Amino acid sequence: MAFNARITMPAEAKAGEIVEIRVLVRHPMDRGGQVDSEGRVVPRKILNRLTVTYAGEPVFRYDMHTGVSANPFVSFTTRAVETGDLSFEWREDGGATFTRTARLVVT
Amino acid sequence: MTSAGRALAAVLLALASPAFAEEIKPGSAFLSPQMQRQQEDQGRNPGYLWVEQGEDLFSRRDGTTPTCLSCHADPKQSLRGAAARYPQVDANSGKLINLEGRIEQCRIDRQKQPAFGYESQELLGLTAYVASLSRGLPLSVSAEGAARPFYEAGRAFYERRQGQLNLACTQCHDGLVGQKLRGDTISHGVGTGYPAYRLEWNGLGSLHRRLRACSLGVRATQFDYGSDDYLALELYLAVRAKGLALEAPGLRR
Amino acid sequence: MSSPISPACARPETALSRREVMAAGAAGLALVALPAPARAAAPPALAELVARITEGAVPERGKISFDIPQLVENGNSVDVAIQVESPMTDADHVRWIHVIAEKNPFPDVARFHLSPRSGRADIRATLRLATSQKVVAIAALSGGGYVMADADIVVTLSACIDGG
Repeated sequence: MAFNARITMPAEAKAGEIVEIRVLVRHPMDRGGQVDSEGRVVPRKILNRLTVTYAGEPVFRYDMHTGVSANPFVSFTTRAVETGDLSFEWREDGGATFTRTARLVVT
Repeated sequence: MTSAGRALAAVLLALASPAFAEEIKPGSAFLSPQMQRQQEDQGRNPGYLWVEQGEDLFSRRDGTTPTCLSCHADPKQSLRGAAARYPQVDANSGKLINLEGRIEQCRIDRQKQPAFGYESQELLGLTAYVASLSRGLPLSVSAEGAARPFYEAGRAFYERRQGQLNLACTQCHDGLVGQKLRGDTISHGVGTGYPAYRLEWNGLGSLHRRLRACSLGVRATQFDYGSDDYLALELYLAVRAKGLALEAPGLRR
Repeated sequence: MSSPISPACARPETALSRREVMAAGAAGLALVALPAPARAAAPPALAELVARITEGAVPERGKISFDIPQLVENGNSVDVAIQVESPMTDADHVRWIHVIAEKNPFPDVARFHLSPRSGRADIRATLRLATSQKVVAIAALSGGGYVMADADIVVTLSACIDGG
């Protein structure tokens, strides 16, 4: 299934304000090791890292292991400093990456 | 009628139709307050990941065929309330059809595309999207006219003991509502949250997938997705839940 | 989490079930009663798991709140919220928060990297817990110290499991 992300955050914030960013992504987070209906062992395939930059500067990183739920949710905070893009990059086992951006306007 | 007379009438009515003896509550009423909040939160309820997929498919063109949007312009208005009227009898075929069936019918007859298949991610996405357009509206499914025999069949299914455990749906979902079954709380067995995101599934699933889990639970025959048996049961459950707000995509344990 | 009725969640059988190991452990007999292979496979103690990520330092209690349901409705997705009291300045902030679930097959569950730009040390996430156990949140502070909080949680078993 195609990767899909829902990012919930304010579009605007005052300089210095702390904003909450909530991220929900669609991913089975296959932890590996289970036996499927045809008797094959399912390989591990999870999103293992989410990196968030804000106007180019890293502001948050989430290292995920097999103990993170399917379709994982995470929320974190960042201080609004300037108008710019928050860019979200997920890295999947095997090296694939997925990216999304969301703009924060600082007044 | 005197108040004593009314009370007697109420008791008689309750005895006559145990299924309607108490107020039917939606599945969400049996969730923790936290999960209830999450179900309503579009940034948190993972079901909306599928709604988004469905919205995307709704306007996507496969080859030269019309998109869903070609017929159903402004779906937020034109399809508002549509999901609350399913299952219904299809006028052309005379068969009972649910929302999944109607979407597949459009796909095959009007878009001339191969069916997605029951429980495919695409059909779940489209069903969740169309259902979400009726979120909060009361269910208004008809049990009259052509639907009557299907309703009766669904009720018979609901009241019939089945499986190795020899249990009828009604024994738990009318008689033992609110009680515990291992870690679960027994609900009224209302389908208004489906397709729903179940933690047990780690994903979105249809009402028929949920019914198959029920059948397995009582060690009874699991009917096929979209089978006549489950369609009739779906109709009965929908009529039984008449007036309850549609809450798909629901969040369930 | 679920009993392996569905082939999709069947697991290879081992010599001793987890329940037997747990029961023996509770009786204080674990190492005496277990045959050699099981002893070799015994999971490291929680203190060891913590020490491994704090490079031997013993974390202090307090200054960190760890919100997780005591009674988990379904181990597939467990909501956690973690907050650390910190001014989150360049001089004094939380560097990261790490979560350990001692009885998960892979006890290191997640790590959240923060910085002064976070403004607050305030995280929510959905985790997967294999069974009833103790779960620990450890925060690494910019000054070099660590704080931790733990919670004993019970993962309830679902009756209405999926049969496909």
